[in-house]
Amino acid sequence: MKKYNVVGHSVRRLDAAEKATGTAMFSTDFTLPGMLYGKVLRSPYAHAKIVNIDTTEAEKLPGVKAVTTYRNTPREIFNTSATMTFTVPALKPVLDQYIFDNVVRYVGDEVAAVAAVSEEIAEEALQLIKVEYEELPTVFDPLEAMKPEAPVIHADCGEGKNIPGEIIKIPVGDLKKGFEECDVIIEKRFLLPIVKQVQMETQAAVAQVGVDGKITVWSTTQTPHPTRMIIAKIFGVPNSKIRVLNPPYVGGGFGVRIGLSAKAEPIAVALAMQAGKPVKIVYSRKEDFIASDTRHGGYVTVKLGAKKDGTFHALDLRAALNGGAYCSFSTETPGVLGAMGLSVYRIPNQSYFGHSVYTNTTPAGAMRGFGNPQAMFPIESVVDMLAEELGMDPLELRLKNIMKVGDPWCLPYPCNSTGLAECIEKGAKSIGWERRGRLNQPGAKKLRGIGVGVGTHCSNSWPFCVDYDNAIVTVQQDGSIHLASGVPDIGTGTSTALPQLAAEVLGVKLEEVSLTFGDTLSTPFDIGSHASRTCYAAGTAVVAAAKDARKQLLEYAGDFLKVSPERLEIKDSLIYITGQELVGDCAGTGVCQSGEERKSVTLQELAYHAHLRNKQFIGVGRIVPENAPPWHAHFAEVEVDTETGQVKVIKVVAAHDVGKAINPIIVEGQIEGGVLQGVGYAVTEEIRYDAKGRQLHNSLHKYMLLTAEDVPEIEAILIEANEPSGPFGAKGVGEAGLVPTAGAISNAVYNATGLRFYDIPLTEEKVFKALKGDGPATY
Amino acid sequence: MSAKILTFTLNGETTKVMVEPSDMLVDVLRDKLNLIGVKKGCGQGECGACTVIMNGEAVTSCIVPAMKAEGAVVETVEGIGGPGKYHPLQESFMDLGAIQCGFCTPGMIMSAKALLDQNEQPTREEIREAISGNICRCTGYVKIEEAVSAAAKQIKEGK
Repeated sequence: MKKYNVVGHSVRRLDAAEKATGTAMFSTDFTLPGMLYGKVLRSPYAHAKIVNIDTTEAEKLPGVKAVTTYRNTPREIFNTSATMTFTVPALKPVLDQYIFDNVVRYVGDEVAAVAAVSEEIAEEALQLIKVEYEELPTVFDPLEAMKPEAPVIHADCGEGKNIPGEIIKIPVGDLKKGFEECDVIIEKRFLLPIVKQVQMETQAAVAQVGVDGKITVWSTTQTPHPTRMIIAKIFGVPNSKIRVLNPPYVGGGFGVRIGLSAKAEPIAVALAMQAGKPVKIVYSRKEDFIASDTRHGGYVTVKLGAKKDGTFHALDLRAALNGGAYCSFSTETPGVLGAMGLSVYRIPNQSYFGHSVYTNTTPAGAMRGFGNPQAMFPIESVVDMLAEELGMDPLELRLKNIMKVGDPWCLPYPCNSTGLAECIEKGAKSIGWERRGRLNQPGAKKLRGIGVGVGTHCSNSWPFCVDYDNAIVTVQQDGSIHLASGVPDIGTGTSTALPQLAAEVLGVKLEEVSLTFGDTLSTPFDIGSHASRTCYAAGTAVVAAAKDARKQLLEYAGDFLKVSPERLEIKDSLIYITGQELVGDCAGTGVCQSGEERKSVTLQELAYHAHLRNKQFIGVGRIVPENAPPWHAHFAEVEVDTETGQVKVIKVVAAHDVGKAINPIIVEGQIEGGVLQGVGYAVTEEIRYDAKGRQLHNSLHKYMLLTAEDVPEIEAILIEANEPSGPFGAKGVGEAGLVPTAGAISNAVYNATGLRFYDIPLTEEKVFKALKGDGPATY
Repeated sequence: MSAKILTFTLNGETTKVMVEPSDMLVDVLRDKLNLIGVKKGCGQGECGACTVIMNGEAVTSCIVPAMKAEGAVVETVEGIGGPGKYHPLQESFMDLGAIQCGFCTPGMIMSAKALLDQNEQPTREEIREAISGNICRCTGYVKIEEAVSAAAKQIKEGK
C-alpha cells in the first residue's frame, strides 16, 4: 500500500491542546457585552390549544427585556432539519413548525420565551406568564396514530393519517414470485425504542442583531450554512446579512443539530431583535431531553426468504416509525432505514415500505446511524433465525449472501468497494468464533454467548438530499497554507483530518496548514457534518482545492526553474526537479546568486516571489460528492446472569472497512464511541413516556447511559478496501460503529440463552421475565 | 444570609470574589472568574463535566455551594499545566486519542488527576471507578482509560 507523509498517520489532533487545557471555546462558554439570557416556557400538555396567553406581569418584572410568543414573532413555517426546509426536487418539503404556535403538540413544546439580565430573572418571568390551555386528545404510538379515530396532529398529510411527507417505497424484482420460489421464509415484527443522542453540550445559541439589521448567531449547529438559510427564511432576511458560526467547538452532535439546535437559534434571534441586545440561550439538560430530537422508535417488520442452499431470494422490509410531534427528519430516516436495509445482501426480489407517523411525543430526528440501526437489529436477528432453520453457520450464511463489488442493488450509485468478507473473517478470528457452542458448563447460572451483526452505511446523503461541498486553499505570502471549509468539527476530528489531506496534496508538513471552519462568513457553502460525510465529502473538496493550488504553484515554479511543471514534485515545502541530485542547490540557503542554475525552490521563496509580482495562489474545490458504502462486522460476547436477567457485554470486536484511515487513531475513536452507543442501544438506553406524554427518562440520572465502569473490551479492526471515489481511498465511518451492534448483542444473547428477543433494550427486567417462563414478548 | 466575599486558593493564587448564597461553585468559576474550562453539562452533578479538585478531592462543582469553598484549595484544568509544561494527563490525552468533542475532557482530566495525586499505581478498576462519574459520549472511554493509565506510568517514571 502506498505510503504517505501525512495521510494515514495518527498525528495529534490540532484541537487537542485547546481542549486539554480548558481554553477551547464552545457556544455555552460564549459571552458578549450587554448580553441577556433567554429562557423558554414549555407546554405541560402533550396536545392542547392555547386559548389565551397573558405576558403583562412578566413584561413588568424588572430586568426583563423581551417576551416573545406566537403573537409577536414571525408566522413563517419551517422545519428544523437542514435538509427538509429546502429539499431535493421532486420531493416536497414538509414544513410544520413555527417558532411558537397557538397549538402545542408535545410536553416541552415551545410556548413563549423571555430575555432578561440574568437567568434567574428570566426563569422568574416565565412563572408570571399566564397561559390558558384547552386540552386536546393525544396519541403516543405510531400504529395507533394512523387509525381513523386518532387525533389529527398535523392536517396536511397526503399519504395517510398523520404520516409526514412521503411513504418510501423501494421495489426490486418481483417480490410475490420471489417468495413463492423460496424454500424457507421467516417473518417477524420488532419494536425499537426511543433513545437520545445525549451529546455532552446541550443545545445553545447566542444571537446578536446589529443596528444595521445584520444577524450573527454563534451556536452548536452541525451545519452552519443550511442553518443560516433556515434563519433567513424565518426572519425574511437575506442570507448575506446573516452569519452563523461555531465558536468554534461543538460539544458533540450525533445528529441532534443537523440544522437548528432544536429551536435555540430562532428563539435567540427573536428575543435579540425585540430586546436590541445580544441574547444567549442554553438548554438545560432536561430541556435537551424533552425538547430536542430523539432517535425514531417504532415498528420494523422483516420477511426474509431463502433457497435450501441458503441463497437469499426475497426480502420484504416494512417500517412505521414514531416521528413525534413535528417532522424534522421523519421522511429521510425511514428512507435510509430501507435503502441500507436492502443493500447489505444480494437479494433479487425485495421491497421496502416505510414511513414515520406523527404522535404527541418529542420530535424524532437524526441520530447517529439515522434509521440504519433500526433496520439492522431486526434484519440481523432474522438472518440468524434463518441460519438456524437452514442448519447453517451464521457466518457461512452471511458470507454466501453479502453484496460484492459490481452487484446490482437499489442504491443510485455503484458499489465500488467492499471489505465486508475480510471484516467477517478477521472479526471472527479475533472473537474466537470457533468457541461458540462450547462456552458453558451444564448447570451454569451465568451463560456466555457469541453473536454477529453486519451492515453498511453511506458516506454522504447525495443523491437523496442536497449535499455538496466547497473549499478554498490560499497559499500565504510566506508559503504557509490557509484552508477554508464550511464544515464544523463536532468532535469527529474534521479540523485535523482536512488539514492532513491538504498537507499531503501540497507536499507540506501538517503544521504549515491552518484551517478556518464552521463559519458562514469566512467559508464557502458546505452542507455540513452529517451522514458520515465530512472526511469523505468535504475532504474531496479539500483535495480538489489543494490540487488546484498545487497546479498553480507548479506552473509558476516551472517558469521559475525553467522546466516543465510535470517534472516537479513537492516535499516538505520544497519544490524540486524529480530525478536530479539536490545536493549543492542553493534553495533555502538565502545565498542564491543570480544566474545560478536552480534545481529547487521553497514554497516560502516562491510565494514571496509571486507576491512581489502581485500574485497569490488560490485553489478552489467545488464538488458534488459521489457516494460509497462503508462496511462493518461486529462480534459480541455476552454473559447473561440467569438469576438477575443482567446482560453483560464482555467484548465487542468491530471490524470496519473504512476505505482508508486518514488518521487511524481518530478512526478507531469513532468506532469505539459508536460501539459503546450501540451497546447502550442494545442493553440499557430507552426513553419511555407516561400516560400524559411526559418523558420518564429525562435526565442523565434516569437515562441509563453506560459509564467507564460498564465498558466491555472493544477491539476496533480497520480494513482498508480502497474506495476509488474517496479522498486517498477513504469513505464514511462516523455512524457505522452503532449500526450492527444491537444485532450482534441480541444474537449473542440468543446463543447464550436460546431466547430470541424482538425488542431492545435487553434490560434486566425484560430478560429476567423472559427467563422465568414468560418468554420474550412478540409484536 | 447575604452576599459575601469568598476567599479561597484557586490554581495556586489567593482569590477573592463576591458570591451570593445561592451561587454554585461552577457559576462563580465560569461566570465571575472566566474559567471556561469548567464545563456545565447538566447542573445536577450527573455528568461530571464541571469536575474540579477541592482540597484534594474531585467534586462536581455544579452542586457545591460556592460558600463551601471558603478557605479551600481549588484546582481547575487551567491550573494544572499548559504549553511547555503540560501535565502528564494532558499529554497522554492529546497523544492517545482520548479527546474528541472535548466537552468532557477538562472534568475527566481533573477526576483522573485527583486519583493519580493519591494513588500512583491505580489498577484498571480504580481508574474506571475514578472516572465513572464523568460521562463521555464520544470515545467509549477506551482511549481515556489508556491515557490515564499511561499518565500514571509517566508520573511514576518521572519521579
